[in-house]
Amino acid sequence: MNRKFVNTIALRSLALVVVLGVAWQAQARDAKAPYPSMAPLEQYLMVDRNSEIALARSAAPESISKDAEVMVLGRRGYETAVKGTNGFVCMVERSWTAGINDPDFWNPKLRGAICFNPPAVRSYLPITLKKTALVLAGLDKAEMFEKLKEAFISKELPAMQVGAMSYMLSKQAYLSDQDGHWHPHLMFFIPQMDADSWGANLRGSPILASVDAEDGFTVFLVPVAKWSDGTTDGE
Amino acid sequence: MIRDGIKTITLATLALAVVLGARGQAPADDANTLYERMAPIDQYLMTDRNTEIAFARTAAPESISRDAEVLVLGRHGYETAVKGKNGWVCVVERSWMAPFDDPEFLNPDQRVPLCLNPPAARTHLPLTFKTTELAMAGQSKTQMFDSIKAAYDKKELPLPEPGAMCYMMSKQQYFSRKIGNADPHLMFWFPKTDDMFWGAAFPDSPIDVHQYSPQPITEFDISVSKWSDGTAAPKN
Repeated sequence: MNRKFVNTIALRSLALVVVLGVAWQAQARDAKAPYPSMAPLEQYLMVDRNSEIALARSAAPESISKDAEVMVLGRRGYETAVKGTNGFVCMVERSWTAGINDPDFWNPKLRGAICFNPPAVRSYLPITLKKTALVLAGLDKAEMFEKLKEAFISKELPAMQVGAMSYMLSKQAYLSDQDGHWHPHLMFFIPQMDADSWGANLRGSPILASVDAEDGFTVFLVPVAKWSDGTTDGE
Repeated sequence: MIRDGIKTITLATLALAVVLGARGQAPADDANTLYERMAPIDQYLMTDRNTEIAFARTAAPESISRDAEVLVLGRHGYETAVKGKNGWVCVVERSWMAPFDDPEFLNPDQRVPLCLNPPAARTHLPLTFKTTELAMAGQSKTQMFDSIKAAYDKKELPLPEPGAMCYMMSKQQYFSRKIGNADPHLMFWFPKTDDMFWGAAFPDSPIDVHQYSPQPITEFDISVSKWSDGTAAPKN
């Protein structure tokens, strides 16, 4: 979900964001795009289950992630590796949770460590699980988004709940080839709200936003000062 | 609804709020409280209207505040000084909007600019207006507490709409001698919920939480790196 923001911040220029967005769309149509289709599944899997659990937990401060459920990606989808007690769920998202025009959509190196709060667990996590199931079933990108759209219409996928948000504070995450782990940030998932409602993407605003048309909600993103390990983000 | 941008202050106040909430009582008058009653109204007013307008706008980046409605405080309450066109409202709140248990409550020096997004303009401003009305009518803290509680009980005051939030990024904001201008931050309001809702108030969380009383409201604060003028805030 967060790929677009990575480049946004790195460029530190709203004008360039617009340019970049256009460039991405062009790149998506370009057969020379670096990741035109899904790589062999093995490239998306992490060999060591405990490493994936640790990476997932690094998305949030230990005070939150130590009691969270942790999910890891297997050959048939995500599965619970550690049961939680506080309602949060941590996992490592793969590239197919990016936007439809994101050049890293099939990048097998992406590792988006993320911890969802309870409302996001109930309303955002099902989207990730659905996308993953469709991808692992062999659907291409267009087919996956079409099925996703049908799932929203049929209400198989729930509407986003009020207060749904997530932590992405992992210094070990890899969010794009261009920006690596980018900056520690929080993400807020708001249905039917445009970016202007939070003053996002405006000059000087500390908030970024991306309207996710395919998923039916807006993602607001607020960078914060520290990684989950307590170290300060170095800009 | 604002004030405690600094975690230490928030936690200290929160602890007291929890105690008060547990007792289900209005705060008792405390002889040690510095500002138990209103100072003369002139001490809360800004003498120059244009200065207050400019000050209110410093709560958010110019890209937001330049098209916002701006309210200024007069002798009979807040009034519109500049009409807006983007749905946002900027206002300099006074110390009666601090939590009732805050020692700075009614401190005439406190000046806290906010720019409220449209959902907050619809659901937070009514509380600002009501509290201001009570303070300027000379009610005691206890009377104000009871009046605000009754207003929520009777649903005369609305609960926060989904997405209600505001910017507090003015380098010139002033909370108290102790914390000065605190830090630039964003505030988000919800109908009362638990601290864990956003994972706030846990060690190393970048989110602060404040549970208000008697307002059935939970506030989450997130510090940001820059003031509205683009200068960097001190890292702490």
